[in-house]
Amino acid sequence: MTTSSMKTKRAISNTITYIVLIVISIIWLFPFVCMFLQSFRSMDEGGGGMVDYLLPKKFSLDSYAFLFSEESKFVRWYGNTLVIAFFVAILSTMMVLCVSYALSRMRFKGRTVLMRFWLILGMFPGFLSMICLYFLLKQFGLTQEGAIPGLILIGVASSGMGYYVTKGYFDTIPKALDEAARIDGASRARVFFTMILPMSKPIIIYALLTAFMNPWCDYVFASYVAFGYSDSYNVAVAMQRWVWTNDYQGYFTRFCAGGMLIAVPITILFMCLQKYYVEGVTGGAVKG
Amino acid sequence: MGKEANAGNIAKKQSPVGKFFSNLGNDFKEIGLTFAEGDWKTKISFLIMGFGPIMRKQFVRGLALLAVEVLFILYLVGFGWKYLKDIGTLGTVARVMNDNGTYSYNDNSFLILLYGIMTIVLIFVFLLVWRINVRVNRNEEKLLAEGKKLATNRQDLHSLLDSNFDKTLMALPFTGVMVFTALPIVFMICIAFTDYDANHQPPTNLFSWVGLENFKNMLSFGTSGIGSTFLTVLGWTLIWAFFATFLTYFCGMGVAIMINKKGIKFKKLWRTILVVTIAVPQFVSLLYVYKMFANDGLINTYLMKWGWISSYIPFWSNPTLAKVLIIVINLWIGIPYTMLITTGLLMNIPEDLYESARIDGATGFQMFRSITLPYMLFVTGPFLLTQYTGNLNNFNVIYLLTQGGPQSMALSNKAGYTDLLVTWLYKMTVNDTNYRMAAVLGIMVFVVTAVISLAVYGILPSVKDEEGFQ
Amino acid sequence: MKKKVLATLLATAMVAGCLAGCGNSGNDTASTPAADDAAPAADDAAPAADDAAPADDAASADEAVEYGSGTIKVWVAENVVEFTQKQAAAFMEANPDMAGYEVSVEPVGEGDAAGNMITDVEGGADIFGFAQDQITRLVSAGAVCPIVGDNANFVTSENDAGAANAATVGGTIYAYPMTSDNGYFLYYDSSVITDPTSLEKIVEDCEAAGKNFYFEINSGWYQPAFFFATGCTLTYDTDDAGNFTKCNIDYASDQGLVAMKEIIELKSSSSFQNGSSVDNGTNIAAIVDGTWDSGPAQAAFGDNYACAKLPSFEGSDGKTYQLSGFGGFKLLGIKPQEDAGKLAVCHALAQYLTSTEVQLSRYTEAGWGPSNVAAQQDAAVQADVALSALAEQLVNTIPQGNYPGDYWTLATSLGDDVITGTLSTSSSDEELMTALQNFQDTCISYAQ
Repeated sequence: MTTSSMKTKRAISNTITYIVLIVISIIWLFPFVCMFLQSFRSMDEGGGGMVDYLLPKKFSLDSYAFLFSEESKFVRWYGNTLVIAFFVAILSTMMVLCVSYALSRMRFKGRTVLMRFWLILGMFPGFLSMICLYFLLKQFGLTQEGAIPGLILIGVASSGMGYYVTKGYFDTIPKALDEAARIDGASRARVFFTMILPMSKPIIIYALLTAFMNPWCDYVFASYVAFGYSDSYNVAVAMQRWVWTNDYQGYFTRFCAGGMLIAVPITILFMCLQKYYVEGVTGGAVKG
Repeated sequence: MGKEANAGNIAKKQSPVGKFFSNLGNDFKEIGLTFAEGDWKTKISFLIMGFGPIMRKQFVRGLALLAVEVLFILYLVGFGWKYLKDIGTLGTVARVMNDNGTYSYNDNSFLILLYGIMTIVLIFVFLLVWRINVRVNRNEEKLLAEGKKLATNRQDLHSLLDSNFDKTLMALPFTGVMVFTALPIVFMICIAFTDYDANHQPPTNLFSWVGLENFKNMLSFGTSGIGSTFLTVLGWTLIWAFFATFLTYFCGMGVAIMINKKGIKFKKLWRTILVVTIAVPQFVSLLYVYKMFANDGLINTYLMKWGWISSYIPFWSNPTLAKVLIIVINLWIGIPYTMLITTGLLMNIPEDLYESARIDGATGFQMFRSITLPYMLFVTGPFLLTQYTGNLNNFNVIYLLTQGGPQSMALSNKAGYTDLLVTWLYKMTVNDTNYRMAAVLGIMVFVVTAVISLAVYGILPSVKDEEGFQ
Repeated sequence: MKKKVLATLLATAMVAGCLAGCGNSGNDTASTPAADDAAPAADDAAPAADDAAPADDAASADEAVEYGSGTIKVWVAENVVEFTQKQAAAFMEANPDMAGYEVSVEPVGEGDAAGNMITDVEGGADIFGFAQDQITRLVSAGAVCPIVGDNANFVTSENDAGAANAATVGGTIYAYPMTSDNGYFLYYDSSVITDPTSLEKIVEDCEAAGKNFYFEINSGWYQPAFFFATGCTLTYDTDDAGNFTKCNIDYASDQGLVAMKEIIELKSSSSFQNGSSVDNGTNIAAIVDGTWDSGPAQAAFGDNYACAKLPSFEGSDGKTYQLSGFGGFKLLGIKPQEDAGKLAVCHALAQYLTSTEVQLSRYTEAGWGPSNVAAQQDAAVQADVALSALAEQLVNTIPQGNYPGDYWTLATSLGDDVITGTLSTSSSDEELMTALQNFQDTCISYAQ
């Protein structure tokens, strides 16, 4: 084999790779581009419903204007989701960190039993207990009018069970560090707060990010808890109704516009923190 | 709960059940000894929890124990007993109509069962605390007898930040899981043995225990039974999870290898484009994609405009096409994720392995087969398992795309050809309020997940041989 | 030895205490039957009622009836939420003695309302709009309260007979009729469709123009248009409790076979699309749909907007049949109440919301066809294109009775079997008959 033939071969294979990658990129971005374009279609054109072509004939901000108008509670729903996502992210990350540290660093009685028990619990489908959770929340007055705190509570309460990735990360921090500090007289709590946590920035950001993103997709339980009280809806519940309920005529472009308003900020946030996300996901996969 | 945990232990110790009972026996012996050998403070502690520690100036633990007892008794008398006593019947008097057209609500089977279970759990918890109370007394007496000093209250409190820090950390998460995951699951398991459905809906009506009737119904294969539908749905669930996991995995790895290839530029750009799908909430992207592939959607109309097809392709209304399309669209969702994971791992493979293979004249594919693949499978074995079980319960992709449809006369209880067990469960819960069958289905999902997990976990190479590639 | 999970237990105890606390206030049903079991919100309302009562007394001492105060939750479809809010405010203004109640109107579709009411009666609305096919479900779940005496007379005297009948289960009236427009007919583009009276011609024109004809054949509501056309029946008898006692069905007959073949024939056209929503359709030339879509239909067809009763078709036996279907109603139901004052206010408000004037203005603002006899005689209503097409069609339809929830699923399954091609033009008569027999048997099995 001569070097020049090697070079041609590599060039050909690289070209093929480029073509494949470009095709893949187009496929991946296509729905978003469509949605982006549709969100700017004027209400005069097809009345805001479905159309069978891609490029709007007339661009306008009608749909966006509707979302921010008095007519729609979109801003409120967006705010609701933001509040839920924010608190769930903060509180559930704290829960996960607590559990992970305890399970990674301390050997207490019942530790393995607890881990097994939680593993078993995790094998039950979450929807199973939906009705029970609804009535449980109702006893505290956390449904309908109180659905927002209710959803935060549900989002946070069992989050400790998702400790795997974080614990895996803690396991990689050498125990010798802890022991040295403990010999110097530092308490467990001190070690946790002043040593382990600062060293775990990537995994904390990962946990925050994933927890923050979850509530944006939650329409199953959220619609259950908030039913019949539209002030408590989150964006997913409200917008999913636009698509699935026949009461909402001409909401397709509005759905696209709302979708863009949700997708863009989250995507930007995600892009900025992508590094941490990759780290967390990769670590989690290897640890199982 | 102790029992379940014990069942999980079977693989580890030879006779966990025996161990459990011998532990229990030892416990009783120790309790007896504590009473027999203890002083009067200890003896009174058997009735008034924390009495001994308080008398020994261990106020923190003493008062904590006392508080538990007081709260428990208040709970039981004021609240728990009312529900616990009815748990056998789940209530006898339903709603009644008054003369003036208003209604009075009476027994609520739902709350009776829920609070009944909670009370039973709390009774066990209380017994556990009582046992701790006895042990605390015994240990204190022992220490005093040996002439040692008891821990001061300050030390007790401080230990919660040091040697007992695990308890501080775990208290809240543990309680949360118990109340909002374990309790509802136990409750729903009980529901599987009742007739709680649209016709027995509290507070209007009562529901009651029916034994194994629901399970018989689920597994009956006659004309009225839903057994055959269950098997159809289960079959598709397993097939779906298989393709969703492995196709995504290999395609994702392929994309990662392409992007990582030497000489390919803009690596970050390619990755970023793919990762957008992770960031965009699925209910937005999937609902849109669903509309794109509808009979009168964008894809069909363009294909017809261009004259490639003469009439629309029934993407969603043909069961087979719908199944294939769901798996393909799932690739769109899943590839970025596996791409991210495999990118990191691929870089970890020692380059010299490839170098020596290249010297031996191996082709790219051979290298992939004998170096890359075994390494990746080894490292990501557990990940694949969790992915598989995750896909068994992958609600969003199915429900946002087809909602389980298309349905058929051949399937009962609203099941459709693309329904997974979980989407079926969801429909039963939300559309039919048929909680009794939903609960049975939930238990079935658990059984399937547990069996697969246990079976696969045993044969995973990375579990068998932890040193392997390291 | 240290204290065991003490911290955990403390937390558990706290939770338990907390539950006990909440529970005592909210769920002490055994001792105070008529009182507090409503939603926690009702607890908040109760003291407010007590506070308000004396003030009310002082203001109008000789007022005979004391209605109390609180919140009345109303669920209606999205497009009449504002309208309903306005009307409720007008009602309260006209009845100051009932103004202690605040009315909150929420958009919950007529399809979802019944499901939500059944899931949690206590958390549901006090007054809710629903499509009549849900009524038996609501009655058997005890989620709607019976209407008796003068209130029942109001329903029968003010509304057309079909509407009153639709609100009745086993001899008892359970709801106030709101509209009589829950039927379907044909919207079409007059530049494409040359002859809206013949199904074959419509399909032909659509195929020639490369446009779509929408007919939701996998819906239990639209599908019977074919079966009833050929003379088949499908009705259920119910008892007082809302249970289905008997199913009258003859789908598995020669006539049923003709209808089945026609559905399959229609489906085999390249212009056929399954659907019944103008907005979700594309490239529409004709659609079988109801009055609620008249706005979008006008927008879609523009100057070529036209309506007609459903077409007729030539069956496989050579005879011509006029497509039939359901004539249906939208109803307003009241949740069973624990408080007599509130119950009275709910009845009064529901009657107001279904009165002649309000039905008329609802027609003007949202295009809902009235069930009220007087309102139906109004000139504007009589002149409406869509409503008159519907009126023409209603002559050929069967008033929609009560159907078990499973029927709708089953009909979807039968329709899906056609759409997926399980049943197709190549299926033999025996195969089709087996499917119909299967359908019929399953329908019968829903009634005990």
